[in-house]
Amino acid sequence: MTYKIPMGPYHPALEEPYKLDMICEGETVIDAKLHIGFNFRGIEHLAESRNYIQVIALMERVCGICSNIHTLTLCQAMEQLTNQTPPPRAQYIRVVVAELERLHSHVLWAGIAAKLMGFKTMFMTCFEIREKVMDVLQAISGNRVNYSMNRIGGVNRDIDDPLAVLAMIEQLEREMVRTVIPIFTTSTTARSRCAGIGVLTNQRAISCGTVGPTARASGLPQDLRRAAPYAAYSEMEFEVPVQHDGDVRARLLVRALEIMESCKILRQALTKMPSGDINTGDAKIVFSTGTATSRVEAPRGEVMYSVSWKENSRNPSRVHVRTPTFANMPAIRWMVMGARLADTPLIQASIDPCYSCTDR
Amino acid sequence: MNLITALARFLIFPGLLFAIPAAWFFLWVERKSVALMQGRIGPPFMQPFFDFIKLLGKSTPPRSGVGGLLMKLWPLIAVAAAASAVGLLPVWPSSGGFEGDLILLLALLELPSMCIIAAGFSSRSIFGEIGSAREAALSVSYNVVFLLAIVSIAASQHTFRLEALAQLPASPMHWIGLLAILVCLPAKLHINPFSLPNAEQEIYSGPMTEYAGPELAMWELSHGLEWVAATGLVATLAAPHLTLWWVAAIVFIALSFAVVLLLSAVAAATARLAIDTTVRFYWQCTLIFAVLAISSAIFMRHRS
Repeated sequence: MTYKIPMGPYHPALEEPYKLDMICEGETVIDAKLHIGFNFRGIEHLAESRNYIQVIALMERVCGICSNIHTLTLCQAMEQLTNQTPPPRAQYIRVVVAELERLHSHVLWAGIAAKLMGFKTMFMTCFEIREKVMDVLQAISGNRVNYSMNRIGGVNRDIDDPLAVLAMIEQLEREMVRTVIPIFTTSTTARSRCAGIGVLTNQRAISCGTVGPTARASGLPQDLRRAAPYAAYSEMEFEVPVQHDGDVRARLLVRALEIMESCKILRQALTKMPSGDINTGDAKIVFSTGTATSRVEAPRGEVMYSVSWKENSRNPSRVHVRTPTFANMPAIRWMVMGARLADTPLIQASIDPCYSCTDR
Repeated sequence: MNLITALARFLIFPGLLFAIPAAWFFLWVERKSVALMQGRIGPPFMQPFFDFIKLLGKSTPPRSGVGGLLMKLWPLIAVAAAASAVGLLPVWPSSGGFEGDLILLLALLELPSMCIIAAGFSSRSIFGEIGSAREAALSVSYNVVFLLAIVSIAASQHTFRLEALAQLPASPMHWIGLLAILVCLPAKLHINPFSLPNAEQEIYSGPMTEYAGPELAMWELSHGLEWVAATGLVATLAAPHLTLWWVAAIVFIALSFAVVLLLSAVAAATARLAIDTTVRFYWQCTLIFAVLAISSAIFMRHRS
């Protein structure tokens, strides 16, 4: 006998409203259908009525986790339209904030994954560490969630003492190596819940067009920081972790290794930070007519902004956002097919979905 | 046993008057200790009691027909069974009656779990039904080990009376059996790593999903009483034989408390296992204990 189990739009396993309808036979999921759109806020349309300063503050609110990535992508696109190049110090500061945000996003995801396995102690540990990452972000930007760091032609705030931040990062890294990474990589309970479930084959990952850690866990070595470097990433040395199993454990491992790589990038960026200006100054900004696109590697994968402008206009004529979850979402159906019902919350969370960004 | 002592045992210690506050106390100890292990503050001391009173004061929408009646009935049966199980624990030396009868105690301990299964199906909620199905699968797996452990203890001592078992000198089989019972307790009490039937991230609260108000309060109470009965069973089997009644009572409470702390630590340190892993785990335990039980039986036959 098959029956349908709705998961969501309001469910203890979901951080935000969306719905997964699962057709089950006993404890096995036969098919699944994903419904989104519960959090549509019309941000793209709102952006058309905001000027070039207001639109940055607006787009920062697309996502509560990767807020910096959205302003970074938008500013990069607007810099193309205004022919501005941020000074080198600003590029380094952008890398520092982006990597800190990646750390905080991955640790948050680890906490959620632990909670979905019913491992609440690990959830608390992860969130404790996340608080510390947010403390570092607060020390740099004065804010914990929406950092307001990016502007056209650079950043708003300088990192006055990079070595003090470096000390905080090193302490964070030690804590992660001590607690989060071993649970991700060696814990038997975590392994028994993650190994071999929610498999996304390499072929399927390509045909679904997955991005970010989801793609890297299925053996696709794609990372925009390496393939199309932006900010100061071309000057950083780091590995792109790739796993080939395609299961939830592989996605866990990829993120665990990425946490280590982020710490490596942060250390380089903070020690090598050049001196100089942090933005191009307050001169009048003139936009040329046209459409510019910008892509960056967000914690969840590739974010793409397409910004259209008309000359002499203060407002953009169109801002289009494509978030990584939009690309990863179709893969969920293939991941949960044939899975146990008990594993579906963890499987759907393993792409680190952010449907609020996708709904915009 | 005269009527007054029998009533005192059933109503005062270790019966209802002790069992109900003890149930709330153990629920609090479990929640508080898990919270402290997780770096949280945890609930205040009176919280389980406040929860109970608050739930009692809620009015629930009436359910018509047999289904509604059954949904009211199951939590009451569960509470009655769990309270009787606590009352049967032979903390003090008894002089007859049902007290300390292992078979009756096992039956009473099993009733709440049967009621949960029935309640989930009576509620006709899809989450309740899945929770009940999981509870049934879990029950079939851990009960084999649980019963084998108890039978092996009883067989090694030639008695099915708990009191006699507690007084006899402990054999190795006794300790192995005790270990087996401890392994089964997380599943019996629905705590991690065997908290499948009420896995909130998957099926909300499973069989309890449709319950609210006074009926939910009764479920909470029966859950607390199960804690007291199950930890009390371990405490009775593990306690040394003592003649002074108040020392016996203190040892009983202290041992129960230690078992609660141990189970909370296990719950805090583990993730929830999936149903097939759980079933496999318990059937592997069953195999080990079956071999031990049969070998002990053969050994005893040779000896006697």
